[in-house]
Amino acid sequence: MLVDFELIIRARDGDGAAFNQLVLAYRKRILGTIGRLIGHPEDVEDVGQEVFLRLYFSLDQLRSAEVFEPWLYRLTANAAYDYLRKRRRRMESRMADLSEQQVTVADALASTKVDHDEGQRKAIRETVDSLLDGVSQEDRVLLMMKEVEGLSLKELGKIYHVNENALKVRLFRARQRVLKSFRTSRKPAVGLGGSR
Amino acid sequence: MDQKHLMGDDEERLDALFQTYRKACPDPEPSANFMPQLWQKIEARERTSTVFVRLARNLVTAALALSSIMALMVTVSHSRATSLPSDTYVEVLEEDHARQNLDYFEPVRVDPIADHR
Repeated sequence: MLVDFELIIRARDGDGAAFNQLVLAYRKRILGTIGRLIGHPEDVEDVGQEVFLRLYFSLDQLRSAEVFEPWLYRLTANAAYDYLRKRRRRMESRMADLSEQQVTVADALASTKVDHDEGQRKAIRETVDSLLDGVSQEDRVLLMMKEVEGLSLKELGKIYHVNENALKVRLFRARQRVLKSFRTSRKPAVGLGGSR
Repeated sequence: MDQKHLMGDDEERLDALFQTYRKACPDPEPSANFMPQLWQKIEARERTSTVFVRLARNLVTAALALSSIMALMVTVSHSRATSLPSDTYVEVLEEDHARQNLDYFEPVRVDPIADHR
């Protein structure tokens, strides 16, 4: 826990200053998680603000301070999922308007503007993004929470209020799908440092 | 054997890719506008919800006033109705019929014969 239980209780009881402190304590971590879940740095702050906005209006329903972090992660996962769903819908309609050639040119122009490091990060993000295209938005968020954020099955069970075995099965299936795309992918994996 | 080895290799590569992705996306520094924008959004939503609450309250008040007026109207019309004859058509008919029957069953007066000689 990054804060005392007392601060959470004060924020829950409507203390604005306590809520402000709570946001200041968690915002960096939450923004990082959102960035990795959605893979679009330009929208991270918007989604992050949405998470804390939902937190502000739902904090009075928090039963005890001990479950605050799973609660916050649940809000984060839901906000990321909502964003991804909307984005997919937006992208589908936008892509329908552009020809394939225009998309390629736009991508090439965009990549020349960024520096090398950022270009490499972008390539990794795109690789992961394309691998995760084969799974549903819910499974994508779940898989990222496990594989990238490093949350345990127990923690995920608390966040999703789901039996650990059910989560294990779901994660296994999602990972197998990603692995299949990974194998069939013709793109070389960028920036891999070999085995762990 | 080789196939199994390759599959295991892919699993490790995928794990490595996720770890690289984790490193490529570090926790960002929030911008200076993060908190002011957040409070603006909170206040905007509170305003919206206040408008809805007020609207709902006004609707409830209007509904209560309307039902009071309707109740009053029903009471007034009911009291007016009580000043009119309360008998139903069937009751009036029955009463009339009973009177006729009484006439019918009235004993016949027979004058005594004066001279019975």
